Parts: sequence; structure tokens; C-alpha cells
Amino acid sequence: MKEKIAEYFFLICSLISIGAVALICFFIFRGAYPAVQTVGLWPFLTGGLWKPTDIPPLFGIFNMIVGSVYVTAGACLIGVPVGVFTAVYMAKYCPQKIYAGMSQLVSLLAGIPSIIYGFFGMMLIVPFIADNFSGNGNSVLAASIVLGVMVLPTIIKVSEVSLKAVPKTYYEGALALGATKEQSIFFVLIPAAKSGILTGIVLGIGRAIGETMAVVMVAGNANILPETIFKSVRTLTANIVLEMGYASGTHFDAIVATGAVLFVFILLLNLVLGVINKGSKTAGT
Amino acid sequence: MEKILYFVFAAGVSLFFNVSCGGNVNNEITVISREESSGTRGAFDELIKISDGKINMLFREAIIVSSTDEAAFKTEVDKRAIAYTSIGSVTGKIKTLAVDGVEANEENVKRGAYKIFRPFVAGVPGSGSSPLARDFISYLVSRQGQKIVVTAGYIAPNDEASVYSASGLAGKLTLSGSTSVEKIMERLKEEYVKFNPDVKVEINYTGSTAGIKDCLSGKSNIVMSSRAFKADEKEKLEGYAFALDAIAVIVNKNNPIDEISSEMVTKIFKGEIRSWSDVK
Repeated sequence: MKEKIAEYFFLICSLISIGAVALICFFIFRGAYPAVQTVGLWPFLTGGLWKPTDIPPLFGIFNMIVGSVYVTAGACLIGVPVGVFTAVYMAKYCPQKIYAGMSQLVSLLAGIPSIIYGFFGMMLIVPFIADNFSGNGNSVLAASIVLGVMVLPTIIKVSEVSLKAVPKTYYEGALALGATKEQSIFFVLIPAAKSGILTGIVLGIGRAIGETMAVVMVAGNANILPETIFKSVRTLTANIVLEMGYASGTHFDAIVATGAVLFVFILLLNLVLGVINKGSKTAGT
Repeated sequence: MEKILYFVFAAGVSLFFNVSCGGNVNNEITVISREESSGTRGAFDELIKISDGKINMLFREAIIVSSTDEAAFKTEVDKRAIAYTSIGSVTGKIKTLAVDGVEANEENVKRGAYKIFRPFVAGVPGSGSSPLARDFISYLVSRQGQKIVVTAGYIAPNDEASVYSASGLAGKLTLSGSTSVEKIMERLKEEYVKFNPDVKVEINYTGSTAGIKDCLSGKSNIVMSSRAFKADEKEKLEGYAFALDAIAVIVNKNNPIDEISSEMVTKIFKGEIRSWSDVK
């Protein structure tokens, strides 16, 4: 009997989280439907003009989809190498003394609220880009740098765990065969921990694409297709948060639909994650 | 291994120098505006003719910020920035430009010389509004109410207001509307409740347009709008301007310019003029 009670209790808990996902899914797509019906799916996804208060209004989010992709790709370019190499350092090079402190600091990085990252970007990175490069600093580059730093903890933690989970024999075997430390790490250890590292990266991408506050503060949010990385960009999340408070009618529905598009992106990422984890049953997952 | 590291390093260095040498020390204007549905932007766009009521012609590369304070901050850190903000939000860290030779201040707004301003309007449905709602509005435009408007940093439209005395009414009052009015309305509410302790005032900040809808559908008793009512709204709502808010054109402290023509402001915000060297 006692076991049954515990089982039901756990079942209810898991139902709560599953129910939440289902509810969000249901409401976001139901909310998005009227806008897609009014505007049309194709014009909505491929339209380059977002002018919700014009008469007649225009709702096209193509620039923002591209914006989100650019900024996320930029964040990966910065965050992935730094994150993975940091994980390598922490797993294989780091002296015990430094390790505790460093691990703490990485955790702290994960705990910093995104608005603080935004301030940091607005006060430091944006003026730096404006002074040293072209444009006014509110740019794809600024957003990429801020997001690149924000995804670090996710990538570092997951990669480090998976690197450490690779059986010691792999590494020692490589050394015994005469490989240097670097060769062992890059040609044996990292490939063996591949799926874990990829999981970290995909989780990082998820964080980058969904990040809002920090991006709004540094990206400039102009609704254009940026030609260079020094141009301003508006992401899907920025579009939602900027206009949510005031919107009504079709405008509101279109913003919910923007959220639905973002949701599809996240679903796709999870699908990729599923494929990665299924495809390789090697060590480190 | 060293080869790989060396290559990455070299590529990074060359990329950096390429980009930084290509980067120009330019004089390009950073145009800063607000999101489409902001009340401040609506008023500004209309007053400087960025919008003709139908099509908005704001420069497409303009930076969009989500609040008045952010506009001020971005102007503070960017030497080439131009933005606009409610006069109540201007600090010593930015420079306010005189437009067509007229400073943005209370006196100039009142005598009609400074044209870029908007009213804060409280409205009730033309028919079927409650006595309580009317009493609250009569407090807003009274001498006591107007005094609070001034201490909050805005301009009182009504110099010869009559003195308000407690009505003794009781009940619940719901207000909805502009977020820009929040700072001033909270104070007014506090003082009003002191006069009439039996009245409960509830305020929802939903934005001007949403507030108007709420009021017309009966969800709220009074709408607070940070722009004047449009023609079709005027037919259904009775509006009372209880405060005026000048919209200041602001630039960085280090900008040598002190005044600007309204025509130039329009051209800058439309993106027709892109460089400070062309601003006369």
C-alpha cells in the first residue's frame, strides 16, 4: 500500500510538468491561429515588413527569424570554442586548487540574471563596438558576444561532465600508444564525449535563441535584415517583449504567433537533441 | 597541435585588423525611437510628421528601445545619438535641444511656442458615467490635483483651477490606460483617497488604446490616455486634459549642437539625413 501511495504521488508530480508543456503548446498555437488566418502563413513568415500600427497593418516576421538565427549562430561561434576548451581545461588540466574556485565561478555565471548581462553589454560592449568599428554598436555582434558569454556555463558544465565520464582507459590507452596529451584529448577524449558535448551545445543554442532581456538591450531592435554584423537586428523574442504590453487585436495575435514560431524552433532543437542522444550510445551521455 | 593553435590565432588577428581598419570614425547619426505602440512615440511621430495617421515612415535602421529611461541612457553613452523622451525623464546627463529656437519648458508649452507636447487625458463615456468617476476627474483638474501634477514634473494646463472639496461619495472606481501616466496617477490616487476614504481606486496600466477599449466596454470607469483622443474616440468619450507633457528632443552631452529645426528632426527620424555633418 505504502509503495502505491508513493507511486501515485510521483505520478501526479510528473503529470504536472507534462500537463504544463501540453497546456503551453495548446494555448500558444490556439492563440497564434487567428493571426495566421488573418495574415496568411506565408506572408507572415516571409514578409519583411512589420508595421502593426499602420493602416492597413503589416505583419511580416522574416527579418526577425533571420535575426534570431544570426544572433544564435554568432553566440555559438563565440561560446562553443570557449566553452568546450574551458571544459577540456577543467576536466584534464586544471590543478585541484583552482578547480573548486573555477567551478564555482562558472556556476555563478549561470546564475547571473539576464538583465545584468544586458547592462554589461549596454555599458561596455555597445560603446566599444561603436568606438572601434562602424555603426552605433547596437548590433548583431554585440548581441552575439553577450549571448556567447551567457551560453558558456551550459556548454562548460555539460561538456565537462561528459568528458569526465569517458572511461580513463581511453585516455590512458592513447597515452600508452605514444600520443601526446593534446592528441589524446582531441582525437580520443573529445570524440568519445561527442554526444555529451553536442547536447551541451544544443542546450546552449536553446538558451541563446530564447534569451530576451539581454538581447533587447544590446541588439538595437531595428526591423531590418542586417547586411553586416555591425548592423542592428531584432530577434523574435525582442519583438514579443517590446510590443506585448500594448498590443491588442490582430497585433496581439501576431505577437502570440511570433511566440509560436519561436516555440517551433525550440521543438526542432529538442528533436535534434533526441537524435543526437539516440544516434550514439557511446560514453559520456 | 601547435600548428592548429597558431593558425587560429593568426586568423583571429588578421580578421580583427581587417575589420578595425575598415571601421570608420564616422559621423553617422544614431536614431533612437520607441516601439510601435508606445504612447510617447505615437505623439512624437504625429507631431513631427513621421506618421500621417496611416503610414509610419520612421527610419528603418532606427534603434528601438522599450522605455523612456532606456532612450535616455542610450543617448547618454552614444556620442552620435538623438532621441526623444518625456520632459519628466530628462536628466543632467543628456542635452535637450531647442526646437526652432524654442526651449522645451513649461512656459513655452503653455504659450504655445513649443509644439512637441501631448496631453494626459482622463476620459469617461459621454453617456452613463458614474458620479464617482466625474468626482475623481473634478479632483484631477482641481487646484490640489494640478499642484500634484506640477510636483511630479509635468505641466498643469489649468492655472485657475477651483478648489476641490470632499464629495463624501463611496464605492469602487476602476481606471485603466497609459503606462506613462503611472508615476503621476499613483500620487493623485493617494491624495484623492485621503479626501474620500470610502472610495476604493483600482488602476490598471494597459496602454492608452487598450484603456479606451476597456472604458467603452464598461470594464473600467475612467480611461487615462497619454495622447489626445482621435476623432472617432471623441464622439464616444468626454476627455479632460489634466496634465501636459513636453516631449524633449535629446542628444549626447558632447554634441556641439544646441538647437535644431523641426524640419531637420523630421528628416533625421525619417532617415533622409544620416550624418551630423549635414545637420545645420
